[in-house]
Amino acid sequence: MDRIVNGIARGVFVFLYIPIVAVIVYSFNAAGTNTRFDGLTLQWYVELFQDASLMQTLRTSALVAVITATVATIIGIMFALGLARYRGRGRGALMALIALPLIVPEIVLGVALLSVFSTTKVPLGILTLVLGHLIVSLPLATLVLMSSAAMLDPSLPEAATDLGCTPWQTFTRVYFPLLRPAVVAAWLLSFTTSFSNIVMSTFLSGVGSTTLPLKIYSSLKTGLTPSINALGALLILLTLVIVLLVGVSQMRRILVESRT
Amino acid sequence: MTATTRAIHLGRQEKPKRGSLLLLIPGIASVVLLGVLPLFIVARNSFAVADDYGGITDGLTFENYAKLLDPVYSKTLLFSLGLGLLNTVVCLVIGYLTSYYIVSRPTNRQGFLLLLVIIPFWTDFLVRTFAWITILGSGGPIAGILGIFGIAGFSVIPSNLAVVLGLLYSFLPTAIFPIYASMRSIDPSLKEAATDLGASWWGVHRRVILPLSSPGILGAALLTFIPTMGVFVIPVLLGGGKDPLVGNLIVTLYTEFRNQPMGAAVSMVLLVLMLASMALVGLALKRSSTKRATTKKTEA
Repeated sequence: MDRIVNGIARGVFVFLYIPIVAVIVYSFNAAGTNTRFDGLTLQWYVELFQDASLMQTLRTSALVAVITATVATIIGIMFALGLARYRGRGRGALMALIALPLIVPEIVLGVALLSVFSTTKVPLGILTLVLGHLIVSLPLATLVLMSSAAMLDPSLPEAATDLGCTPWQTFTRVYFPLLRPAVVAAWLLSFTTSFSNIVMSTFLSGVGSTTLPLKIYSSLKTGLTPSINALGALLILLTLVIVLLVGVSQMRRILVESRT
Repeated sequence: MTATTRAIHLGRQEKPKRGSLLLLIPGIASVVLLGVLPLFIVARNSFAVADDYGGITDGLTFENYAKLLDPVYSKTLLFSLGLGLLNTVVCLVIGYLTSYYIVSRPTNRQGFLLLLVIIPFWTDFLVRTFAWITILGSGGPIAGILGIFGIAGFSVIPSNLAVVLGLLYSFLPTAIFPIYASMRSIDPSLKEAATDLGASWWGVHRRVILPLSSPGILGAALLTFIPTMGVFVIPVLLGGGKDPLVGNLIVTLYTEFRNQPMGAAVSMVLLVLMLASMALVGLALKRSSTKRATTKKTEA
C-alpha cells in the first residue's frame, strides 16, 4: 500500500510542475501557438518590453508593492517587538487579531474596503491599493517577524540599555541586526503578496492605476498570447528568486510551524 | 528598600511594558481600521435598501437576504458549496497522501520536497491558472497531439473539468502544509507499534495517523473550503464563466451591477459560512482532545 502512496505522491510532484514547465517552455516557442514547437526564440520577451501599457502597469504594481512591503514590514517589526516584550493579558487575542485577515476570505475583505472608500469618497488609486494590499500582507510579515522576535535573548537589549543605549540605539544596534533575516523575509513576502495580488486590486484600483495582474487577467479574457507566456515565465523566475532569498528554513517556519 | 528605590525599580519594570503597548498600536489599528471595521460596514450594508444606482441608503430591510433564495442566486450558492466541498475533499485526500509521503522520507530530503511544494504555492495565482490554458486549451500540446490523429478542435477549456483541475492545482499546496505540520509531530514509533501489533496499512492510518493528524486536516479544510467558493478568476478563465462561483457573483454585483446591498448580502453568506466552519472545526478539535484525555484516564 505504501508503494501505491509513493506512486501517487510522485505523481503529485509531477502535477505541480507540469504548468510551470509548460509556461517556461512555450515562452521560447517560435511557433506563436502552443500546438507546435518550432524552435527557440526570444521574440515574445522583446515584445513584452515594447508593450508600453504593460510596462505602465508593471510600474504601478512595483510601486504599490514596494510601499506595501515597506509599511507592512515596519508595522510588523513594531508589533513583533511589542508582543515579545508584552507579558500582560490578551497575548493570544492580539496574535489572533493580527492573523485575522488570513482567515477571512480575501474577496470579503476587498468589498469591505471598497465599501469604506466609497462611503468616505476616497478616490480609488495607489493609496487604496496600498491599504488593501497592506491588510493581506501584514499578517504574513508579522508572523515571520514574531517567530524571530520570540527567539531573541531578552538579556541582550537589557544589556544595551544598561550600557546607556537609547531605545532607538538599542533597536538599530541590537534588535535590527538580529532580526535582519526575518526583516528581509517579511519584506520579500509582503512584496510578492502585493505584486501578484488580484483579488484586492479588482475592487480597489482606479482609472490609471491598473496593476499588472489586472492587465494580465483582462488580456487573458480575450485570449492567450505568446508574450503572456513570456511574462508568466518571468514571474515564475521572480518567485524562484524570492523563495531562495527568503530561504527554505524561513519558509518552513511560516508555512509549517505557524500552523501547528 | 526605601520608597524611592522601589519607585525607581517599579518604574524600570513598567517602562518597557508601556513602550511595548505603544509598539502594538499601528498593527492593531491597521487590522481594526482596514479589516474589522470594514467588515461591520459590509454587515450593515447587507441590510440596506439600494437607491436607484445601487448605492447605500439608510433603510433597513431583509429583502437582500430574501433575494438569495431566488434561483439566480441560490443556484450559484449551491453550485459553489458543491464545488467547494468537492475541491476540499480532493485536496485533503491528495494532501494527506502527499504529506504522508514527505513525512516518511529522511529529514534532509523532507526540506527539499517541501521546497518543491513551496515554489508553486508562491507562484503568481494568475500564472498558475493560465498555465492550464497553455496545456489544455485549443492551442495547446494536447490538442496538437490529438490533431495529428485527426481529432480536430479538441479543448478541455472551457469546461467544469478544467475548473476542478485549476482549483485543485491552486489549493493543493495550501492543504499540504498544515497536514504535513501535524503529521510531522507524530512519533514514528506509534506507527511501528501498530504494525507490530498486527494492524494493516489501513488500520494504522485509520486508528493512528489519521486521528493524530486531524488538527492539520481540519485546518487544511478551513483553508480550502471557503476560499474555493470565493475564487473568481478560475471560473472565468478555465470555465468560460458559464457556472459562476460566489466569488464571481460578488465581483459582478460590486463592479458591474453596482448593487452594493445585494453584493454585501452575498459577501455575508461567505463570512457566516466561514465563521460557522471555524466554530465547527474548533468544536471537533475540542471533542477529539477531551476524548483523548478521557481514554488516557481510563487507561490509567
